[in-house]
Amino acid sequence: MLEVSNISTFYGQIQVLWDICFKISDGEILALIGANGAGKTTLLNTISGVLRPNSGTITFLGQRIDGLAPHAIVELGISHIPEGRKLFSDMSVQENLEMGAYIDRAWKHRRETLEKVFEFFPRLKERAGQLARTLSGGEQQMLAMGRGLMSRPKLCIIDEPSNGLAPKLVQEVFQIIKSLREQGITILLIEQNVRQTLEVADRACVLENGRMALEGCCEDLLKSDHVRKAYLGL
Amino acid sequence: MERFLDVAIAGLLLGGLYALIAMGMSLQYGVARVFNIAHGEFIMLGAMTTWTLYTVFNISPLVAVVICGPLAFVLGFIIHRTMFRKLQSLSANQGVFESNSMLASFGLMFVIQNIAFLAWGPEIRTYNYLMETVSIGGALFGARRLVTLGFAIAIGVIFYIFLARTRIGKAIRAAGQDPSTAGLMGVNINWVLALCFGLGAAMAGIAGVLISMSYPDSANMGQEYLTVAIIVVVLGGLGSIPGSFIGGFLLGIIGSIVSFYEPGLNMAAYYAIFVILLLVRPRGIMGR
Ligand SMILES: Nc1ncnc2c1ncn2[C@@H]1O[C@H](COP(=O)(O)OP(=O)(O)OP(=O)(O)O)[C@@H](O)[C@H]1O
Ligand SMILES: [Mg+2]
Repeated sequence: MLEVSNISTFYGQIQVLWDICFKISDGEILALIGANGAGKTTLLNTISGVLRPNSGTITFLGQRIDGLAPHAIVELGISHIPEGRKLFSDMSVQENLEMGAYIDRAWKHRRETLEKVFEFFPRLKERAGQLARTLSGGEQQMLAMGRGLMSRPKLCIIDEPSNGLAPKLVQEVFQIIKSLREQGITILLIEQNVRQTLEVADRACVLENGRMALEGCCEDLLKSDHVRKAYLGL
Repeated sequence: MERFLDVAIAGLLLGGLYALIAMGMSLQYGVARVFNIAHGEFIMLGAMTTWTLYTVFNISPLVAVVICGPLAFVLGFIIHRTMFRKLQSLSANQGVFESNSMLASFGLMFVIQNIAFLAWGPEIRTYNYLMETVSIGGALFGARRLVTLGFAIAIGVIFYIFLARTRIGKAIRAAGQDPSTAGLMGVNINWVLALCFGLGAAMAGIAGVLISMSYPDSANMGQEYLTVAIIVVVLGGLGSIPGSFIGGFLLGIIGSIVSFYEPGLNMAAYYAIFVILLLVRPRGIMGR
């Protein structure tokens, strides 16, 4: 579905990503793990068009997408749920969700999609008229995920959805991610809860200092000494 | 009491104009992040074009509204797509862009002003249109000034509904809060910024048409209205469109009270309010 080859990304003169290569196949959950500052968010931003890679190519469903503007990439079916939620804080819950359905293809079906999202997150339905900035942290994360689904994506890239949530809500987030996959959405997931992530994901990539250090199926990674030491604290 | 009513109505009439001018500037700054020093020149273009249309082609100023508004929109849209877009891609970050774009709009102001001097010369132009008076609560007001107020309120209300209810209106608000995330939602951000700049220019152009109905016009009239716009925009809260709308009426009423006691002191009072505001509440009425 998505193929990233030899991507290098810079901030000005500073190189942050070096020759990143990986693939995501249809219907899988691929986890991307790495320490703070490893370049995970930078990689997601490069995929969704917020940043431009200095070299390398990104192909989505057979089409080159590196160099396209973010709005063109959403239209092709990639939804990026950004780190830190990035809600439109002065807009209501409902309006935030509507913004998620901004592209033509999704706008036509926004009412049905909204119903579906409300089924997923009943909390949001109760709070539809409330301003986003007055939601609790957990509700805000639900809204960020709901908004990301409103564009009816084929691939969802999600950056640290459980950040700042209580353990019970973290469980809920993982449940939601699993059910998204059951609905046929492919997922690229960044998470700090490495153990749980490796349990729900099919495969994982480990990013270290802007380079791809390891890649494999989750069971193997859970057994790897390096992963156990560096990321699971064992 | 009657006096009070006169002053209040005169204030509303003036305030409607100020609100319209300031909303345009606020939209350009709040969303497109251009603090447009050339804003007054779009007002001047609207006014001078209306004068030409009326005195040379005998086209009514009310018709000029639907000519000058769209023309100013197209001009603003094109200027944003070329100059400010280029500037944006050359600026390292938003802060750099904001200062560069303000400087560039300074340049734009001189260019438009010079072209206007070539086209219209330095003379002060006036025309007579809709000179009837209407009596409100015993006081007489020019019908043309009521038309101005009607337009200002109608544009304010329509624009508010547009922002609150339509898909593009919501995209504009989203882009004003967080352009990068609006892009992730599928908003073509460069297009929306140009749209906002164009709409701001259109409001200035229409304000110019309305101003020309009641006040004398010349190629260097822009300065005064720019000053008023800046004061109202700061008064209302930088970039807040409802703030500008309310602030416009507030300043209009203050202006009318001051004129009642001492007609020459209008601008001086505005500057005084501006300075006090910066010292006491720099974020304005609706600013955060
Ligand atoms: N806008 C920026 N300008 C310059 N450098 C940046 C910028 N954003 C990130 N960086 C740098 O790029 C590197 C990678 O950052 P990135 O945000 O991609 O890390 P991350 O893996 O997502 O970390 P975290 O787990 O803390 O979210 C860091 O060294 C960071 O300081
Ligand atoms: Mg990150």
